[in-house]
Amino acid sequence: MRNATLLVCAWLSAAACFAAPPAKAVKEQHISIVRVNATNQAWDFFHPWSKHAPVSRRALGAVLAGDHVLVTAELVANANYLELEKAESGERMPAHVEVVDYEANLALLKPDSADFLRDMKPLEVKDAAVGDRVAVWQLEATGALLITDALLTTVEVTRYPIDDTALLTYRLTSSLQYREGSFTVPVVKNGSLVGLLMRYDTRTQNVDVIPAPVIDHFLHDAASKHYGGFPRAGVLFAPMRDPQLRRHAGLGPETSGGVFLTQVQKGSAAEQAGMRVGDVLLAIGDKAIDQDGNYLDKLYGKISLVHLIASKNDGEKVSFKILRDHAPQTLPVTLIHRVAEDYVIEPYTIDRPPKYYVIGGLVLQELSRQYLKEWGEYLKKAPERFVYYDRYQTEIFKDARKKLVVLSQVLPSASTVGYEELNYLVVTKINDVPLTRVDDVARAVANSVNGFHKIEFEENPRVIYLDAKQTAEDEKLLMRNYGLPAISRLGALSAE
Amino acid sequence: MNKPRVSRDEIFAPEFFACSPPRTHRQPLDKRVYSAPPPVIFRLSMTRIVLSFAAVCALRFAFAAETDSAPTKLPNAGAAIRKSLIRIAVTEQEANYKVPWTPGNINSGVGAGFVIDGQRVLTNAHVVSNARFLGLEKENDPKKYVATVEHIAHDCDLAVLKVADPDFFKNTAPLNFGGIPQIESQVSVYGYPIGGDRMSVTTGIVSRIDFQAYTHSLVDQHLAIQIDAAINPGNSGGPVMQEGKVVGVAFQGYGGEVAQNVGYMIPTPVIGRFLKDISDGVYDKYMDLSVSTFNLQNPAMRRALGLADDDRGVMVSSVASAGCSAGKLKVGDVLLGIDEHPIASDAFVDLEGERVQMAEVVERKFKGDDVKLHVLRDKQEIDVTVKLDAAWPFSMQANEYDVAPRYVLFGGLLFQPVSRSFLENYQLEDLRVRYFFDFFIADEIYREHPEIIILSAVLPDPINTYLGEFKNGILDEINGDKIKTLDDVANALRKPADEYVIRLIGVGRPLVLERAAVEAARERIKMRYNVLKEQNLRDTVNVE
Repeated sequence: MRNATLLVCAWLSAAACFAAPPAKAVKEQHISIVRVNATNQAWDFFHPWSKHAPVSRRALGAVLAGDHVLVTAELVANANYLELEKAESGERMPAHVEVVDYEANLALLKPDSADFLRDMKPLEVKDAAVGDRVAVWQLEATGALLITDALLTTVEVTRYPIDDTALLTYRLTSSLQYREGSFTVPVVKNGSLVGLLMRYDTRTQNVDVIPAPVIDHFLHDAASKHYGGFPRAGVLFAPMRDPQLRRHAGLGPETSGGVFLTQVQKGSAAEQAGMRVGDVLLAIGDKAIDQDGNYLDKLYGKISLVHLIASKNDGEKVSFKILRDHAPQTLPVTLIHRVAEDYVIEPYTIDRPPKYYVIGGLVLQELSRQYLKEWGEYLKKAPERFVYYDRYQTEIFKDARKKLVVLSQVLPSASTVGYEELNYLVVTKINDVPLTRVDDVARAVANSVNGFHKIEFEENPRVIYLDAKQTAEDEKLLMRNYGLPAISRLGALSAE
Repeated sequence: MNKPRVSRDEIFAPEFFACSPPRTHRQPLDKRVYSAPPPVIFRLSMTRIVLSFAAVCALRFAFAAETDSAPTKLPNAGAAIRKSLIRIAVTEQEANYKVPWTPGNINSGVGAGFVIDGQRVLTNAHVVSNARFLGLEKENDPKKYVATVEHIAHDCDLAVLKVADPDFFKNTAPLNFGGIPQIESQVSVYGYPIGGDRMSVTTGIVSRIDFQAYTHSLVDQHLAIQIDAAINPGNSGGPVMQEGKVVGVAFQGYGGEVAQNVGYMIPTPVIGRFLKDISDGVYDKYMDLSVSTFNLQNPAMRRALGLADDDRGVMVSSVASAGCSAGKLKVGDVLLGIDEHPIASDAFVDLEGERVQMAEVVERKFKGDDVKLHVLRDKQEIDVTVKLDAAWPFSMQANEYDVAPRYVLFGGLLFQPVSRSFLENYQLEDLRVRYFFDFFIADEIYREHPEIIILSAVLPDPINTYLGEFKNGILDEINGDKIKTLDDVANALRKPADEYVIRLIGVGRPLVLERAAVEAARERIKMRYNVLKEQNLRDTVNVE
């Protein structure tokens, strides 16, 4: 029986399975993966009062101890409804997200009824090494397991789907077959989970996998009271291979390592520790940093220092050895994880509706990358000024607590005659109140000046006026004509 | 004034500018604003193998032309035209920004021109741009004459040629100019479309009279007349006639895939202005108030600014610090009148019975002329007089012609100032460079950086083998000296120092070059890359 054979593969090691598949009947409970049906509905940042059409996806999840199912965070981003489904019986159970980390691209689900997973054997999470043969698990339409052999070729730090996150990744080579519902595919070695498939390039047959160490870090954090996430130092660095640069920095020919700090972010761990642009980073803890920014890891060999930092915990103290003005120093650094809300232009906005305020017919929003991404290829298509602000935000905006309030579009109304063409403008003040977030708009419009709302922009036309009384009267009409559920959506009362 | 300068979004078109991606902002409200790509210009390039901009256009037009039916009727003016129409064969040399020490590729093309009074030949600037040799032929004369460019105006795409040989003007009759033809009236276009040796004529009617972007410079807008006569490459510079008088110079149009039967001619007010401007021997260019304005059509805005409900006035929304209005006009001023003309709330004025953009008042003036503005400032009416001058930063965003690329080469590092032509040559997409270029005027980047100097290339050599990642960086300082112009680069690198520490904007790590290493590599790099000259600080091209 074909199914039985494949189930054995799951049970035994993948490698063994390919060598000599023993034909032994195995009970269903041995499958350690479930189907996950997700219906996601993202907010439409062009029409911040609306959501896009819902999209349903079928995926796989790895059953872990504690009645948990591990999937990628991408699967559950903006999810309205989640459901677990047993592969063979088709039995279904609603589920919910218990912990999610969009940066690490991992989410932990729990079925609404805890005993749903009781007949399944949870997978343990185990590390793998370069050269290991591993198995990629998918499900056939019948519920049978489809196993594809893969070789772990590389362990390196690569970018994760949230653009500016980079974490450890296993790279496999495998020729995967496409199966419906193959999202969040588990990768297994000797019956233990070594990772979740993150992306697959059909042309090069490269598979990028979220590896066991990242999963372990996530699970460890998820089990603690406070989910701290993956910390960062908050620096950018450049290699120091150029002998002319090395001599300039005071590194003699007898030395070989060290990287040049090219950016120290405001409010970051590194800044708080007193690190500066121009410092040469020589070592983190007891690990020497080479001229390319790698250190020697006992498991993976040479690998980026980004992993060394990310493998620590939020709040953990590490010493950074640096060279400044040709003299070595050691600085204690308390690593912190910086949350998306701390950025001027937030790198991602998931599971949170966009805030907006419609005044007269002027739609005011906060500039975010999620808004830019509504353009699709936003680097080329979104307003260039906004793209520039986003890309160089650490350089341009010194006050990280501030947000940019922008006029995204005008819903033509009696109040906005002559303003119809205005869009993509940064709003600096309303009624002389400087705006640091869209929530400030409510406060600002409460105090009209001589019966007018004065709205100031960073660039042309610099200032426009609305009739305060007319603006108030237009609210109902705007809501009716454009089908707005509310004239504004603001966040919870601001933190301070 | 809402200067007839075209903003980026209206003008960039994917078909023609592969290097500048269209930034068509998706309209969240599904406002379908159709913005046409710039028309192409009409000199026929004969050098088909060079896939230059002009050549692509020529091919495009060659195909389009085949489907156009031949003109059915030759107007009587034909005989007179034969005495005036000139065929211009051009040999041009286009600047090569990527290898700036080379003299550039040589191309040839054909355009038209015509004799005007004062023993001159009028044609389009784009017909004779970058020209190294001009060969002129008359309709009834087997001889070829050598001509030179006397005046060239890239901002309005016109040029005047002179011919040394006095025989050239024998048996020619200068053409006279008419006015602006009526809409729907018939006109005839003369020239050498698709490069033929004999005169060709097509006819059509006047379709529209409006401000239009002049593709040759790309940043200028002037009055232009749209006609539906077939205009093709080779028509450029030829006269458009009505009742025996010149009513325009054919200059640009669209390929069939964009719009059918849409050709443009430069009308006589623009030609007249050019001829008057050069009458003192120097072309001073079009002038500009260098302010932007916002239409005051919103009732609340009008009341807030203290304006009556009379549809008058526009608000000044920016004043370029490098322009002639700096210190005279302020943001928030309301312009009520320009010279004697009241300004409507949509920035139009009545001029000789026609409603035209207020910019037209300035368009007709010259360098040093006064513009009298009636202004409402802080609810007080005042008069402000602005003496017109050109704002230098604008030229950086225009296409460049007749210039030799400027550069400094040091240790295999090539430093060049950014210009539109430079960006097109390099097909540069870098976000920071793009922002500095596109917002050069709007954000007054020019105050800190009158020139944007970038490290445009690294010619690989052992001394710079680790410096490739600095490519496309914008220079900030060299050994502590702020870099504002290319001359600053040359001066800073001329100062003796053991090492040159070059800092680029937004790049935390310095670029370090040791003098001894640079000196040792100098001849090696020159030899290896056939560098004819290590720097060129002046853009003058000398053509005799």
